[in-house]
Amino acid sequence: MIKNRKPSFVLSVVALMLLIIMLAPLALIILGAFKTYSEIMTNAISIPERLSFQNFSNVFRDMNYPKAFLNTVLVTILGTLGIVIVGSLAGYKLSRTKTNLSYILFIFCIFPMMIPFQSYMIALVKISKSLHLINSIWGLSIIYWGLGSPLAIFLYHGFVKGIPKELDECASIDGCSQIKTFFKIIFPLLKPTTATVVVINAMWIWNDFLLPLLIIGTDKSNATLQLAAYGFMGQYKMQWNNIMAGAILIILPALVIYLIFQKHIIAGMVDGSVKG
Amino acid sequence: MKFLKKRKVLDKLSFAAFVAPAITSISVFVAIPFLMCIYYSFRKWNGIGKSSTFIGLQNYMQLFTNDNIFKGAFFYSVLYTVLVVLLVNILALLIALLLESNIRGKGFFRTSFYIPNIISLIVIGFIWKFIFGRVFDSLYEATNLAVFGWSWLGDRNIAVISTIIVSVWQGLGFYMLIYIAGLQSVPRSIIEAATIDGAGSVKRFFHVVLPMIIPSIAVCTFYSMSNSLKMFELIFSLTGGGPGTATTPIALDIYNTVFNNNQFGYGSAKSVVLFLLVALITIWQVTVLKRREVEA
Repeated sequence: MIKNRKPSFVLSVVALMLLIIMLAPLALIILGAFKTYSEIMTNAISIPERLSFQNFSNVFRDMNYPKAFLNTVLVTILGTLGIVIVGSLAGYKLSRTKTNLSYILFIFCIFPMMIPFQSYMIALVKISKSLHLINSIWGLSIIYWGLGSPLAIFLYHGFVKGIPKELDECASIDGCSQIKTFFKIIFPLLKPTTATVVVINAMWIWNDFLLPLLIIGTDKSNATLQLAAYGFMGQYKMQWNNIMAGAILIILPALVIYLIFQKHIIAGMVDGSVKG
Repeated sequence: MKFLKKRKVLDKLSFAAFVAPAITSISVFVAIPFLMCIYYSFRKWNGIGKSSTFIGLQNYMQLFTNDNIFKGAFFYSVLYTVLVVLLVNILALLIALLLESNIRGKGFFRTSFYIPNIISLIVIGFIWKFIFGRVFDSLYEATNLAVFGWSWLGDRNIAVISTIIVSVWQGLGFYMLIYIAGLQSVPRSIIEAATIDGAGSVKRFFHVVLPMIIPSIAVCTFYSMSNSLKMFELIFSLTGGGPGTATTPIALDIYNTVFNNNQFGYGSAKSVVLFLLVALITIWQVTVLKRREVEA
């Protein structure tokens, strides 16, 4: 059994069949996206009669795709960047400082990991309104800093323990200021954790729907891709051909990024969840 | 002496500079809103008026004795969570075992099985609405199989099953990855030793592999539980909680109570209950993991 490490044909076929079942829904979206309305209403599983990109151009225009795409890119970058900076600064310092206050603050920072978003969203909307963060991509990004940094702090806090303390001491004797030391010497050493934090938060923010719904709402000029998706679903009612084209336009950027960085993304997701 | 004093002040200042951004943003966007929700859960407030009145535990009393929608949401959430956790973990572990056996193209399969997980839940809801509707209609016309003729989103009981199927489909890849990581950490030598001692593949799995991947099982169970209890977006776009309120989970009920019925105080009480449920599971998880660590 052990000696026989030759790939098993039967098991490979089983895996392939499972995969086909698993990804069949995605094939159906592609078929649907190229059909005309009457085609999809008569038969949703046939091959499209002609290759037409009409549905895509409808959706591209109606959901203002370039704008929604840029908004989503912006909020993902700003949100993730903020979480990395805020999280690494605090995670590092709280890990290095061995006082009671530091320990209490650490617990305060990671406690939100067990609070479900729906348990504080009601008052969060209130507070965001009074801080004028509503209806703005910037405002949305800043809110993500608070929501995302608990996990980031937890991960950085654990990782910093493994970095020798002598390193920061050497640097401080050289006369570097502490923040400068951090970004010049410590931050580059945190790269594995930073990769994990970036993957988890970027995927989350890119795909998030409820927070943007509460903060941006139906304001079209600030819509993210997920909000635009929800918008055209209502707009197109049962025009499945357009809806499927829209689904593809929304899935595609994430899929491309995933296929390019799959190794890092898979490693990041596993690392973050096993430690978190 | 003076130098040391100055050094101490500097250390304190830098501590504040490093930690302040995190403390501020977590306070403003999580801690304070959460405390406000607890506060409002004891009050009657429509969210618009300036004043709210203290009504003690009335919101909580109503919630447990006089609210059939919440009761339904609670039972739906629990049923959904139990079934999703069981199914997603069993299937993910089976697929992980398959992908870690001697098959061709392991990397390709791992990458592909994970794909549903990178699609946003809101879009997944639309996709499956299309599949349960138009696609199943077409399949019914083509095959005449009764399964495809069922009202997958229109019947109260079947709709519950539909939401579970879609959630399992979506989450499978993620849990599969964690199980694969767990399986890869089982030392080859132990498995080989068991084989030499004459253990068949089933025995080997239950007596050698399974005990070694308990940490992965714990992580996956915990994640799938807490994710299922918080589920909102998928159901929001797939069924909208319907038909009626048959597939309304607690999270969606909170949303409806607050943003459609303008009952801020009452919705806050519901959100505190949701927190307690998730907290309970987290505490249970942490104690289980702690105990394991001591044993190891």
